[in-house]
Amino acid sequence: MNVKFLNPFVDAAAEVLMAEAKINISKGTLTLQKSAMTTDEVTVLINLVGQVQGVVLFGLSEQLGMKLVSKMMDQEFSAFDNLAQSGVAELGNVISGRATVMLSDAGYQSTISPPTMITGKGVQISTLDFPRIVVPLTCEFGIMVIHLALRESQAGEWNDNFVPLIKQATTSK
Amino acid sequence: MNVKFLNPFIEAAFEVLKAEAGITAERGNLGLEQNEYKTDDITVILALVGTVEGTVYFGMSNDTAMLLVSKMIGENITSFNSLAQSGIAELGNVITGRASVKLSVAGYEATISPPTLLLGKDATISTLDFARIVVPVLFDGTGINIHLALREGKIHGQTTAQMAIPSKPDIKK
Repeated sequence: MNVKFLNPFVDAAAEVLMAEAKINISKGTLTLQKSAMTTDEVTVLINLVGQVQGVVLFGLSEQLGMKLVSKMMDQEFSAFDNLAQSGVAELGNVISGRATVMLSDAGYQSTISPPTMITGKGVQISTLDFPRIVVPLTCEFGIMVIHLALRESQAGEWNDNFVPLIKQATTSK
Repeated sequence: MNVKFLNPFIEAAFEVLKAEAGITAERGNLGLEQNEYKTDDITVILALVGTVEGTVYFGMSNDTAMLLVSKMIGENITSFNSLAQSGIAELGNVITGRASVKLSVAGYEATISPPTLLLGKDATISTLDFARIVVPVLFDGTGINIHLALREGKIHGQTTAQMAIPSKPDIKK
């Protein structure tokens, strides 16, 4: 995977957590994993399609999920209910959305899919032939792990149905 | 969810199963589910982005997956190894790809994400506010469940690749 896709996600996560939940995060040691990911209690899965394609996974514990949502909504959560799930999924959505804006500034257009929430510890998620960069983000309440399995689309793959818009119409005299 | 997104997937599944694995499948009774999905042994997840957006899951048991891969590659597979995993993910990819072509004929352009494979029973997948249509596709005394959580995408979510191309450019004299 291309490392230049990494920073937008780390920056976006820091910005969004600061803005939404007033939480400071610090980045841990990066690792590259080829094997399937074994899930934590809560996983938010978001797909990217476009010039960058692949999948982004946000793994966290229920405890951290509830803390984040409590901070976001300024309301104490004691159960990881539907509202809390929706809040965590939305957080993943906003971080990825923000990251795609940064990616697009860097010249990579992409669109994100709606988030999917996977709950249940110990399930394996395999991205098949995509190796994943794993970024642990530590905050005062725990660790959120971002898994990035992204690659640049091969020429033709994305461009098949992409027709550049005409910049200047040909003028006949 | 819009039911008109359903038939492309059923047709695509039938065609792909026939062509790739020589299986004649039939449709079981449709179901509409609002609650979370408890996973089967194997789940292939794909996202659609475009004027149709959402998530598609293909859920099946280990035995069914191995039966499918065995038929696809004409070789008896007895353990769900990485070759089998890749085969099943590819099957999901081809069915969804075929369906997206059919959707595009119906006027809904969508791009699909690479497949993600979820291994492990009884995790919970939630599509949050999307209701899912569940289509059982039955063959040889077993079957796969296709879950469709799709909705019409927002127009401002369109990318240039999905813009209509003017049939005749305006040429000023």
